[in-house]
Amino acid sequence: MTALSAIALSEDRRARAAALVQDRGLPHRRIEEWKYSDLRAVLGEAGLSAVVAQYLIRNLPHGMDVWDLSRPDAPAWVTDNFARETGNTMNAASLAVADAGIALRVPAGMAIDDPLKLDFTGAGHVRALLVVEAGASLNLVEGVVAADFRNVGFEIALGEGARLEHVRICPALDGAVLVEEAAVRIAAGATYRGHFTGFGARLSRMELEIALEGTGAQAHLSGVALLDGRHSDITTHVSHLVGDTHSSQLFKHVAAGKGRAVYQGKVTVAKGANGADSSQTAKALLLGDAAEADLKPELEIFADDVKCAHGAAVGDLDAESLFYLRARGIPEAQARRMLLQAFLEDAVAEVGHAESREMARTELLAALEKVA
Amino acid sequence: MLEIKNLHVAVDGKEILKGLTLSIGAGEVHAIMGPNGSGKSTLSYTLAGRAGYDITDGSILYKGEDLAAMPPEERAAKGVFLAMQYPVEIPGVTTMTFLKTALNSQRRARGQSDLDAVGVLKLVRAKAKALNVSEEMLKRALNVGFSGGEKKRLETLQMALFEPSLAILDETDSGLDIDALRLVAEGVNALRDPARAMLVITHYQRLLDYIVPDRIHVLAKGRIVAEGGKELALELEAKGYEHIVGQAA
Ligand SMILES: Nc1ncnc2c1ncn2[C@@H]1O[C@H](COP(=O)(O)OP(=O)(O)OP(=O)(O)O)[C@@H](O)[C@H]1O
Ligand SMILES: [Mg+2]
Repeated sequence: MTALSAIALSEDRRARAAALVQDRGLPHRRIEEWKYSDLRAVLGEAGLSAVVAQYLIRNLPHGMDVWDLSRPDAPAWVTDNFARETGNTMNAASLAVADAGIALRVPAGMAIDDPLKLDFTGAGHVRALLVVEAGASLNLVEGVVAADFRNVGFEIALGEGARLEHVRICPALDGAVLVEEAAVRIAAGATYRGHFTGFGARLSRMELEIALEGTGAQAHLSGVALLDGRHSDITTHVSHLVGDTHSSQLFKHVAAGKGRAVYQGKVTVAKGANGADSSQTAKALLLGDAAEADLKPELEIFADDVKCAHGAAVGDLDAESLFYLRARGIPEAQARRMLLQAFLEDAVAEVGHAESREMARTELLAALEKVA
Repeated sequence: MLEIKNLHVAVDGKEILKGLTLSIGAGEVHAIMGPNGSGKSTLSYTLAGRAGYDITDGSILYKGEDLAAMPPEERAAKGVFLAMQYPVEIPGVTTMTFLKTALNSQRRARGQSDLDAVGVLKLVRAKAKALNVSEEMLKRALNVGFSGGEKKRLETLQMALFEPSLAILDETDSGLDIDALRLVAEGVNALRDPARAMLVITHYQRLLDYIVPDRIHVLAKGRIVAEGGKELALELEAKGYEHIVGQAA
């Protein structure tokens, strides 16, 4: 592995990240968490070489601070939050070899309506850090541009009472291999809302590592995968580290052709985190025999007095509903689209940012024209 | 209008209708009565074109055309309407959106132009008022959380909206309170027309006091076993099915 990182990172930290990657190599299907997304098979060892992935800020709201991570002498808000220890191989890989990265901050108490629009482009590894300080709020609209292979290591920190809505809409990218890890730390009273709509890639994996660190912290995750062929993997790990924390997850998938939808969601309630409350729903509809869905919700509870509900279901379009609509004159293809749209709607409705929600709806509708 | 001859229908390989013959002329209202499980809903689903209802023998002619050859949406566009015994709940589709989509789909199939949202709303409101269907219901997801009676009133509203040539009502009266029953019956009677035919499936003579049928058929074990005028309903009410079904068997 060639580590020619230009990211301003202590030699020591980089060396540890590199060692972890060296030790484990690229994830592959015999590693439980990568069972349905064999990165090694699609990439070979090529994935770990350093090439230039980039970020592009398409809209920078007034009042935000920006710091290019390749500059030396980073300010405290960067060094305090960047490159936290991780056991995640791909996250370590980007730390070890990324040569580009961006840090962004919303200063304490600042409420920003204008969305931050941030795209990741190019092939290779890239790092990003977003800090929303105490009492501040922001909408983040993340864009994804095609690449043979890209690995994004994203860190997000929410201060006390902060709010962030993070929406990522990923178009259908046939040849692309896209991996992203978002590690989100949420302080007391802060709320993170994350929505992930995707149309699949050759391999697409979005990992969310959510830490509810303070009382009253909340995380609400939702997403849709609509796959006409292609692959989409959403892997989440929500940790309720203290009591009185809340999380919800709602993921809906539709797979047609040889589409493969993966959802792996682990919720951990730590010892002593009493009064934690979590819900988790993942559903998939399969259109055709070649489509596949692997839904794996998982609960790990070490506390008492917690409220956890989780469920997963894979099914088919409801024949009775389809008949009802057709018997009232609605042509079959249109009736199928209506039912698919209805199936996805509650997950789309989770998007608070109106412009993004409409964009997701429009793109889903266009994609449904093709599968139904 | 409708001519069913020697109809045999199997569901999941099991024969349910076993040689049913029935014909309804334009302008007529017929009623079908019969014990639970006799095949009344099977007949109505078969007429509406539900998948899995295999016609193994016999024929269905509607306005001289082979009904069995048409997909359900084509039947609807050509004027066949089935008010279902158990209307389906569809979360995520609002009632109003559904009504608009259905109405315009039928219009399009008949070569008519789409009605805009305002036009549909006007039409729906006028019909809804007569059937006591509230604005609030129209905004909710289709049939989701509707009471039994509300679902039946919405079925009747659709019938009024689509103005079918052949309306089949499968136990639309079941679960209705007395006032709702009258409203639904008025809705049906308002549609009576020399160019329309109706097939009313019911368990209760009470409905037939409001909707007076030209003819009553008794269905048992997949066959018509008795036919008669409106007096037949009274006889059934008094003596039960055992009497007639027993005679036929
Ligand atoms: N999928 C199926 N497989 C096997 N038998 C079925 C199936 N669907 C319906 N049946 C049977 O067909 C028969 C007729 O059912 P149908 O619903 O037509 O009766 P019905 O006359 O409408 O009764 P009710 O008055 O209770 O509404 C019943 O015995 C029912 O159990
Ligand atoms: Mg029935």
